[in-house]
Amino acid sequence: MHFPKSRKKEGVLHGMEKKRKAAALSEGKGRKINGNPKKRRGRLISTGYLLPSAIGVLLFFVLPFLIVVYYSVIDNPISNQFVFFDNFVMVFKNAAFIQAAKNTFTFSISAVPLAVVLSLFLAMMLESKIPYKSQFRTFFLSPMMVPIASVVLIWQVLFHFNGMLNEVRSIFDLEKIDWLNSSYAQVVIIILFLWKNLGYNMILFMAALSSIPKDILEVAVLESATPFQIFIHIKLRYISSTILFVTIMSLINSFKVFREIYLLKGDYPYDTMYMLQHFMNNTFSRLDYQKMSAAAIMMAIVMVIIIGILFLTENYFGKDVEG
Amino acid sequence: MKKIYLAAGKTDIFRAIITAAVTVCLMAALFGCGKGGTEQAEVKDGYVYVPEYKEFAVKARYINEMIAAGDEAYVVAMVQDGEGEDEQYKTALYQYDLLENTARELPGVDLNDNMNVNSLLMSGDGNLVMVVNQYDFEEDENGEVVDSSMTMEIKRISPKDGSVINSQDMVNVIENAENSYVRNMCEDGQGNIYLSDGEKGIYVVDKDFKKLCEISVDGWINSMAASKEGDVYVTSYGETGVELKKVDLAAKKLGEPIEGIESGQGNVGYYASISKSLMQSSSNKLMLVDLETNTGEELFDWLDVDIDGNNVDIVGELSDGRIWTVSREYSETGDKYELVFISRKKASEVPQKEEITYGALWVDSLTRRAIINFNKANEKYHISVKEYGNDYDGSERAQFNADLTTQNCPDLIGLSGLDFAQYASMGVLEDMYPYMEKSGMHKEDYLENVLRAYEQDGKLCGIASQFYVTSTFAKTALVGEQNGWTLSEMLDFVEKNNPENVFMYGSRDSIFRYCIYNNIDEFIDWETGKCSFDSEEFIRTLEFAAKYPEEADYNREDEGIASKLRSDKVLLLESTVSSVQEFQMMNGLIGEKATYVGYPNSERKGNLIQPSGGSVGISANSKHKEGAWEFVRSVISEEYQDNLVEDNYGWGFPIRKESLEKQFEKDMTPEYYEDEEGNQVEMSKTTWGYDDFEMEIMAATQEEIDAVRALLTSAERLNGNVDAQLSNIITEEAEPFFKGQKSAKDAAGVIQNRIQIYVNENR
Repeated sequence: MHFPKSRKKEGVLHGMEKKRKAAALSEGKGRKINGNPKKRRGRLISTGYLLPSAIGVLLFFVLPFLIVVYYSVIDNPISNQFVFFDNFVMVFKNAAFIQAAKNTFTFSISAVPLAVVLSLFLAMMLESKIPYKSQFRTFFLSPMMVPIASVVLIWQVLFHFNGMLNEVRSIFDLEKIDWLNSSYAQVVIIILFLWKNLGYNMILFMAALSSIPKDILEVAVLESATPFQIFIHIKLRYISSTILFVTIMSLINSFKVFREIYLLKGDYPYDTMYMLQHFMNNTFSRLDYQKMSAAAIMMAIVMVIIIGILFLTENYFGKDVEG
Repeated sequence: MKKIYLAAGKTDIFRAIITAAVTVCLMAALFGCGKGGTEQAEVKDGYVYVPEYKEFAVKARYINEMIAAGDEAYVVAMVQDGEGEDEQYKTALYQYDLLENTARELPGVDLNDNMNVNSLLMSGDGNLVMVVNQYDFEEDENGEVVDSSMTMEIKRISPKDGSVINSQDMVNVIENAENSYVRNMCEDGQGNIYLSDGEKGIYVVDKDFKKLCEISVDGWINSMAASKEGDVYVTSYGETGVELKKVDLAAKKLGEPIEGIESGQGNVGYYASISKSLMQSSSNKLMLVDLETNTGEELFDWLDVDIDGNNVDIVGELSDGRIWTVSREYSETGDKYELVFISRKKASEVPQKEEITYGALWVDSLTRRAIINFNKANEKYHISVKEYGNDYDGSERAQFNADLTTQNCPDLIGLSGLDFAQYASMGVLEDMYPYMEKSGMHKEDYLENVLRAYEQDGKLCGIASQFYVTSTFAKTALVGEQNGWTLSEMLDFVEKNNPENVFMYGSRDSIFRYCIYNNIDEFIDWETGKCSFDSEEFIRTLEFAAKYPEEADYNREDEGIASKLRSDKVLLLESTVSSVQEFQMMNGLIGEKATYVGYPNSERKGNLIQPSGGSVGISANSKHKEGAWEFVRSVISEEYQDNLVEDNYGWGFPIRKESLEKQFEKDMTPEYYEDEEGNQVEMSKTTWGYDDFEMEIMAATQEEIDAVRALLTSAERLNGNVDAQLSNIITEEAEPFFKGQKSAKDAAGVIQNRIQIYVNENR
């Protein structure tokens, strides 16, 4: 075959790239892109297929995000005066926002690791040979099937000032605690979050654990590796991508805990339960779009940083097991 | 290579164009660029409905009954008979020629003072059928009624001369007819007549008034109408709103509710139609109903043809295709009736007006009336109304808020139900002072305190055409002359006097509303963002409220309010002062000098301004600000404000000083009657009552007028309802204290914690 232009370019290629190019040319892959009508048609068809999704993404993700960015730099949605970063400064100084950010951070930093560690522990427990495995699995998964309104009702019955827990405490002559209107409130929400999410995370971990190659585990046993060493050096490495996924999902779900809090205590709960989502919902309903948008962007930036760190971590620990 | 780069460049440009186009389209869709600016009424298929107003040919003070009969109508009305000293009123039956707009009284129809025509219909045989109640009584020499009786009769009369063709005592048809009242009457295709008293049942008689059957019904029958096909239908309230059911004569029962026809809102009535089975008129719109296909076709929105759907008395169709209606407007001196013809015309043939939108959660009758009058009088602008509703879940309010931020925003914003301060501080509302100046209106001509109440940073963001004051009053002997008090002073006062109750129907909720909700700023410092719901004063208020019943007992009949106030068993009475007469009555109620001390307030400014008939602002986003101002100008103009005094429509005081003085002058003018000896004796202007107390109101004295003036000018704050979020938190968290589960201090601590979040968020 004769490819004069390709050969001419060959002169400036070096090392491995040169070899790869040569190999590709020998397989007939080095034709001009623009000159191949078949390829061009293929690109057109693929573009056609992608277009509906692209429009969807543009319409439902990119455009709303751009509108949020726009709202965050104007004084209000009526006069639309450009105010640069004033809204961000205002929101950053807002005591309610600071409280919400602090609560959300505290909640996520406590609930997410607990959700990952406990669900991994449960998955490993159910992997081992224990009796009633199936029943336990069903037990941990059942909260997923309960509608959120019912969950909240159960929680109210348990943690109300006159609820079951305080009744039990009164048996032991202990003073009643106003669980939902005190500093205990966030603990209640963490328990609720774990109760609701552990089952789903556990199933993901069980799937990941079962996909670890058995031969490697057998070799490790033959090499006299301790269960702890197997867990640290093999299992943890193989399920690192699942850990990342579960962590991200738990992080996202931790932001969604607003739903439960809202149903428990409405728009303005006790201060330890007041989350960023409360701040945004309330500012939205009061037509304070600029405050809401600035807060949303700040939250998005923090989320991007956290998820970026998680990806880097996973990339570092899991690179040797992911072809 | 150059070719490749060129191609890539083209692709980028293409992508950029597509992206930009999609973005622009989406932005356009989101921000609603499609709004037209010069439409008048809603244009359907290039046609619009155009109203033509005619003076009602019968000078009726009140219309008892009116029915359509082709291009004619028959009216039973109370009309003035004689003038001056001979002035009196009589009831008469008129034949109304709709095409010529003339009416002639039917001779020979005997309708004396003791007769009442309950129902009327045009029979298929061309004669009129009417149900008449007659009240007979005997008086003794002192004029006391010693014997009375009631009879009910159904008559068929000739529309030519009013002569009776046949008649029947209704005792043979309706059991206990002497105490009944036929509200609806219709005739089916066979000439059978259906009569309904609303609740007991439907009675069917044949053309000779011989009873055929009685159909029992569950619930109240609102209306009855005969369809073009000759069937009779009734409406009643059901699970899905107003339900339409066919009367099944063979089965002697009502059919199932007819599905597929929108039930309409508010006052729904069905009327005979020429083109379709029936016509349905609701508060909002007029529809043609086809009962063969069970479909409804909306003709127009009543406000688009400048008619208040709530005031529609009757609707009919003429042979030339026009729709006619009689609209009734309440007036203190007798209802005003107007005949309106509505024609379908090509939109291109109708002079176009600039369209202005009035948006509000709800529109009150006074504002509706002002809009209709504005539309009728103004040749340049036309206002259409967008009523969002005020649903429980807040979705309609959310839609209202969303519209305010886009190009779909209403030009005029009705402020009823909105937190005025919030919307004003958001910059939603235009400053109206520059418009006032431009129109030659001076703010000095208006009550400054009312204008100040609608100011935000010196800008006039809203205005009410008339207002009243809400306040609380007590005996001056007890409370002193002070025009306001703080919460501590109020609590000290009550505790010192130790009454049976603070208010006549006092409850914890009413105590909270009085002490806290109308005084919320005492506990919230918006400057510093500090709340003080854990303060001693709030805790004291909680403990104070706990002494009162959880719910008011309205069934107590032990003692009237006047007696309780006079004997100090009850100390305070919350009241509106919407007229001088109401003020006079309140003073009479307490039996001695009263002080309007108002609601507790740290600055002792306890009297609150309440707009009567809503208040309005101009949207800062409006593209028709001049037109919107035209409307606002019209409701604060000298003519409109003076009319409020003359018409006395609604209640409250005009905001224009001169008009207010005219109102006072009218209130001070005595009314006289001539006694048997020819002397002019002052008579009462009206009668006012409160609870069990009733009082004849005479012309006001200068002292009373001065007191009312002082009260009106002392009010400086708007009576804005406290945000439901705050009241809900207080109610929810105070409950454990009232139930004895928590101390007042603990409950106050939780309230403080939760409300602090609210305050921080809203700063």
